Amino acid sequence: MNAAIVTSVVGILTGVAILYLVRRDHLHGSYALWWLAVAAAALLLGLFPKTIDWLGHLTGIAYPPVLPIIIGLGMILLRMLRMDIDRSRSERQMRRLTQKIGILEQELAQAKRGAEAGAEPARVKTGQVIPLPKSSDV
Amino acid sequence: MVNVRGPRVRQSTLSDHKQLLTVIPARNESATVGEIVRRVRSVVGGEVLVVNDASSDDTSAQARVAGATVIDLPICLGAWGAAQTGLRYAKRNHFRVALTLDADGQHHPEELPALLNGWRSSRANVAIGTFPQRLSTAKRVAWRYFRMLTGIGVQDFTSGLRVYDRHAIRVLASRKASLLDYQDLGVLMLLRQKGLSLHEVPTVMSPRRTGGSRVFSSWPMVVRYMLHTTVLCFAQFGWRWRFALRAGTRA
Repeated sequence: MNAAIVTSVVGILTGVAILYLVRRDHLHGSYALWWLAVAAAALLLGLFPKTIDWLGHLTGIAYPPVLPIIIGLGMILLRMLRMDIDRSRSERQMRRLTQKIGILEQELAQAKRGAEAGAEPARVKTGQVIPLPKSSDV
Repeated sequence: MVNVRGPRVRQSTLSDHKQLLTVIPARNESATVGEIVRRVRSVVGGEVLVVNDASSDDTSAQARVAGATVIDLPICLGAWGAAQTGLRYAKRNHFRVALTLDADGQHHPEELPALLNGWRSSRANVAIGTFPQRLSTAKRVAWRYFRMLTGIGVQDFTSGLRVYDRHAIRVLASRKASLLDYQDLGVLMLLRQKGLSLHEVPTVMSPRRTGGSRVFSSWPMVVRYMLHTTVLCFAQFGWRWRFALRAGTRA
């Protein structure tokens, strides 16, 4: 019974902490959803400890208490894989943005030199819409 | 999706289609970059672009004085990241041919006309200038292993002396090529996957004057490189299979 109370309290505290972090704008939406699900799972296990035994019976695991550990580890591995995928994506975007900055700086310097040499610089008209590059162009 | 196997028609005569861009990736090469740029300019025409990979010395200024266009990268992207910047510049400015060579003086600009001629007569999309004599035993063993693994019959995978045509420029400027860390196997496999052809031109190179090979600098680096590239090869296996099947049905 004690363990159940502790688990429930941990679940509730995690949930509150996540909501606080989202409110303070420290945590991005999709990550918050994941952590709220973790909090909900902890709360569920705290309130209904019998779930573990039921799950163990269902999967044929003789010693049900290892079940949360196995599931937890599996989830952590999945989460880490997801993090590396995200990191690879950010790395790609960072590299392409770096390249684009270099190219644009060179063009800007060239345009400035052209303007100093007396050529009419391209002016932006008021109210003109300047399209931002699509993410596929970055 | 880029259709690179499209017919080579519409040889545009528009004036904004420039002919030749020479890309020289450079990181802390101020001792040699100026001389290389001058020699390239005197040997082949066209624009010379030095991509300064976040150097801490005056590589950028030396290249500018020598008459090159210079792109300064704010963060170091490595040899391939810098070369790709040049190819993106080439695509953006509608160049038809891009040439790349190293700034450290191991590639002789005087060899460029022969390389371009070899490329033209082969009608391949990409030409690689190689100098098999310079390969160390370790490299020979490594390249034999990768030739076996990929089925790409190139003598020297890492040579940075290359000619790319418009189709190759378009493929290599794409997002797909941005996560590659080295300019060798990953780049060649991507080109093959897109149906482009490779040709090797034997050239003369000198040993590096300053610094050593970035890949073959220490044993941990070599192991890292070999593992990294092996994973890349295995991830591409489906393509090799398809490639072999196509070749088989044609024969």
